[in-house]
Amino acid sequence: MIYLDSAATTLQKPPAVARSMAWAVNRLASPGRGGHPAARRAAETAFACRQAAAGLFNLENPEEVVFTSSATHSLNIAIRSLVGPGDRVLISGWEHNAVTRPLHGLGAEVAVARASLFDRQAQLEAFAAGLAARPAAVVCTHVSNVFGFVLPVGEIAALCRQREVPLIVDASQSAGCLPVEPEQWGAAFVAMPGHKGLYGPQGTGLLLCGGGEARPLLEGGTGSASALQSMPDFLPDRLEAGTHNMPGIAGLLAGLRYVAGRGEKAILARERALLRQAVRGLRGLPGIRFFAAGAEDAQAGVLAFQVEGMDCEEAGEALAHRGIALRAGLHCAPLAHESAGTLEDGVVRASFSDFNTPAEVERFVWEVARLVRR
Amino acid sequence: MVYYLMVCRSLTYAQRTAAALERVGITARILRSPKVIDREGCSHCVKIPERSLTAALVVLNRAGLAPKRIFLQAEDRGLREVGL
Repeated sequence: MIYLDSAATTLQKPPAVARSMAWAVNRLASPGRGGHPAARRAAETAFACRQAAAGLFNLENPEEVVFTSSATHSLNIAIRSLVGPGDRVLISGWEHNAVTRPLHGLGAEVAVARASLFDRQAQLEAFAAGLAARPAAVVCTHVSNVFGFVLPVGEIAALCRQREVPLIVDASQSAGCLPVEPEQWGAAFVAMPGHKGLYGPQGTGLLLCGGGEARPLLEGGTGSASALQSMPDFLPDRLEAGTHNMPGIAGLLAGLRYVAGRGEKAILARERALLRQAVRGLRGLPGIRFFAAGAEDAQAGVLAFQVEGMDCEEAGEALAHRGIALRAGLHCAPLAHESAGTLEDGVVRASFSDFNTPAEVERFVWEVARLVRR
Repeated sequence: MVYYLMVCRSLTYAQRTAAALERVGITARILRSPKVIDREGCSHCVKIPERSLTAALVVLNRAGLAPKRIFLQAEDRGLREVGL
């Protein structure tokens, strides 16, 4: 199988990830819950993981790195910390349901900063216009999970700072391949999964906290201030109730070390080279509509396409039978499809990781060509 | 041996504290705070040799890592709070 579904989760991981997880299962107890060696090893592993994340994302203080179970978990904490019922929230038109559903559930008033696909300047102007209405918060994805559109988050963050509006960044598709700079952005929160571009296992996520009020989504034991009935007022304990996922954290540490060793620039360069190769291949095929940015910096390693006269799910299924793993449909992001005009038909999405090869992309293009010439 | 126990607000804070001290060659061990000095229940402290206290406080002050409280642990293991 050729796996091109890394925007959902990376499947090929550095070998150290599985090794670390297997090691952790029988050797790591609960960090902070005891003075015995297994608890101490767990504490050391958790701290090393926080330090590795802080290093990768240029955070001075590893206490601002909170372990979660997913980017969705992280986003729920961030959104519920800053947004209340009826609050006006400004979001991009490329957000995932992990953002829109919590906002809907809270009863927030959602305003969308609409712009055309891959138009970074228009996107920035839309945020500037939307900020004039003084929203309670801005939520912005760094990279669209459907189209790979790289939003100008640095510039959007600058606008938010000027207006003193707290910013939540969804770095689900950018962490590990683009610079994620919470302190430079002045972001209130940056959410990300551990199992995509950071090459950790599923069941891991991170929330980078930039100060301000953080409201726990779960309450319970933290191994600290146990005599008090309220959650601790310090990070990371405030947001980490319950036993940690130590095999996951050990695996995530191995993934973070891989990314730090390879370098985000090198990973992005590889993914973009594969993207360009796929675009070149699909361009010559009849009946294929694909979504590629004119400017390279506007797109990360995600390529959406449609096959004329074929349902996207049918196309995805047909390619799966030919050994190509893709994702078809709405990708849990109906708003993004609405923004791009693909809500009715959906798209098929190919997404690349550092472990894909040019030969795999060649085979992918060849199989799409077979499909359209059937 | 006489030691100082520096009580920290969290395990992660204690780990940062110990790392800062170890970096300058001060032996620092993280342990769960003895129950008698643990006002809120369950906390961690960093244990350092008596001779290292002054140097440790200088390092921690520079790093912005102030301990919550400091206790002197005597040879008989009795604990006495030290004013900061």
